Amino acid sequence: MASVEIHNVEKHYGGFHALKDISLTIDEGEFIVMVGPSGCGKSTLLKTIAGLETVTSGRLRIKGRDVTRLEPGDRGIAMVFQSYALYPHMTVEENMGFGLRMAKRPRAEIDTAVARAAQILRLEEQLRKYPKQLSGGQRQRVAIGRAITRSPDVFLFDEPLSNLDAALRTQMRVELSTLHDRLGSTMIYVTHDQVEAMTMASRIVVLNGGRIEQVGAPLELYANPINLFVAGFLGAPRMNFVAGRVTSTNGGSASVTCGGDLKVDFDDLAETPAVGAAVTIGIRPEKLRIGDPDAGTSFPARVRLTEYLGRETIVYADAGDLATSGSDSGTGVFTIQIGDIQPFAPDAPVSVGFDANAAYLFAPDGRTLSAAKPVTQI
Amino acid sequence: MSHLWRRHRHWLAPTLFILPGALLFGVVIILASIETIWVSFFDWDGVGPMQWVGLANYEQLFADPQFYVSLKNNVIWLAMFMLAPPLGLALALLLNQAIAGMKFLKSLFFVPLVLASVTVGVVFTWVYDPTFGLLSLIYGWFGATAPALLSDEHLVSFAVVIAALWPQVAFCLVLFLAGLNNLNEDLIGAGRVDGARGFAMLLHVVLPQLREVSFIALAVTIIGALRSFDMVAVMTSGGPFGSSTVLAYQMYEQSIFSYRFGYGAAIATVLFAVMAVFIAWYLRTLLRPEQETA
Repeated sequence: MASVEIHNVEKHYGGFHALKDISLTIDEGEFIVMVGPSGCGKSTLLKTIAGLETVTSGRLRIKGRDVTRLEPGDRGIAMVFQSYALYPHMTVEENMGFGLRMAKRPRAEIDTAVARAAQILRLEEQLRKYPKQLSGGQRQRVAIGRAITRSPDVFLFDEPLSNLDAALRTQMRVELSTLHDRLGSTMIYVTHDQVEAMTMASRIVVLNGGRIEQVGAPLELYANPINLFVAGFLGAPRMNFVAGRVTSTNGGSASVTCGGDLKVDFDDLAETPAVGAAVTIGIRPEKLRIGDPDAGTSFPARVRLTEYLGRETIVYADAGDLATSGSDSGTGVFTIQIGDIQPFAPDAPVSVGFDANAAYLFAPDGRTLSAAKPVTQI
Repeated sequence: MSHLWRRHRHWLAPTLFILPGALLFGVVIILASIETIWVSFFDWDGVGPMQWVGLANYEQLFADPQFYVSLKNNVIWLAMFMLAPPLGLALALLLNQAIAGMKFLKSLFFVPLVLASVTVGVVFTWVYDPTFGLLSLIYGWFGATAPALLSDEHLVSFAVVIAALWPQVAFCLVLFLAGLNNLNEDLIGAGRVDGARGFAMLLHVVLPQLREVSFIALAVTIIGALRSFDMVAVMTSGGPFGSSTVLAYQMYEQSIFSYRFGYGAAIATVLFAVMAVFIAWYLRTLLRPEQETA
């Protein structure tokens, strides 16, 4: 049975259309991560599932039960807030037991549930403390513990790690994944951090402008983004995009010419564009190679900046008239990710190459035209 | 010069900013208080020579039946004023609902805050008037005759306190409305997810967040009850037969009308001692949360 069903949900705030015809079915035990830029509606969608926001139209079901008009406390959900939202006047123990207390459960049951959650989250020593006596990571654990004690059908997380420092964030990420494996509950997790999305999700939901762009397993979305937005949103460093024009087509093949006279040939296209169409070519930074004579396509460039990250090197290369659009640096240079340490002198001329079948082709309206790529099996 | 300023700026600047206030406070409050206590040991008519009498003023005061009437009335004020914070909170919760026209209704409740307390006193004197007042009108509908509240020595204090409660409730209402606007939305959300609603939500999630506002409302109300003076002066002048006098009014009457500044100062000193108890409690509570977090 599906755990959460969202049917054609719409949400208007006055004149602002926050959610546009959202439909999604989430299976029992899934870890769903919703990502998207600020204002894309991901938090609003989570709050409508929680019942903290009402829907303008559409229906919501949790475990087959229509919860569209139910109060949050009656939906069988628990939520972890970005601000933790711990009750400051209650001890850790009282915070975690509050939901069961409101449900008028017997004292012994509350104690057992709190003790179990405290043991899972290693909070046994903190039970009598107040939230302000705890560190950020501990507060986050209490917030999660408060969710666990209610044994909800669905856990909802609203950017729970964004207030933690980088090291703690990595640690909590692993802990949350472990917790999901252990409890086997359905979890819905909102974040703007794509690393969290890629590492934790069983399926990622990419939202943009109040609409679902694409839903799928992390590596599937990474390998086969449905459009230019998803391609640009997932992956760090970002995919390189180059504007081009279709010069000739032949059945499922097309030749595209870009600035600087670069010509790229695409085969086995899912859809053939019209000759003369203004298309976009996308190539991930790790698919670009420097000084490889076997690369199918190559162009000359000059090294602008090199970042040595230890296990990898990021090279920013300027290819003159062949400029990228919407790059992280915003300067039109190519981002190249190399798997080892290679020294480059500033301004050194290099040959940048790639294989055409590793590149993506996007239609003028952003749809992906290139053939589906095989997803690396794990 | 500028070098000297830069080196000492970190303590000079705050000192200069605090100085005018501290000076004013020192002269008007601290010095005046000390002088009042000093004067209370003298027999003095306010202009002539001062005659040292030691504790005689206090001995006379504690033997004065009028002093105990004033003290009892101050207790009535204090007890009845305790209604102001809960009434203000109840009204604030009511007016905080997002209903059309609520803004207009809210502004109506703010009216007594705009009025001078003398005005409130005069208005209520008219309301209580047994011949043409609003109260006699209401009694008239039921065919009854309104009691002359302000000339009844057993009811007069209650009547004056009810008049004074009107602006006090409005003041607490404003404080609580501000507090309700500052509620943490996530905490309310967490409460809803945890299944708290209605009274449980109010008790466990909303009220704890209003703790500081409640404390301020309570403290201001206590001080307001103890320093009550203007309403008594305007509505009854302490009458009938001194039955509505409070300590502050008795002090004023003794000093200004009876030219007994030493005796008035003794009353002021006793009132100061009573207030000091509450002020000590106020300061202790105010400073304690900071110690907790340390």
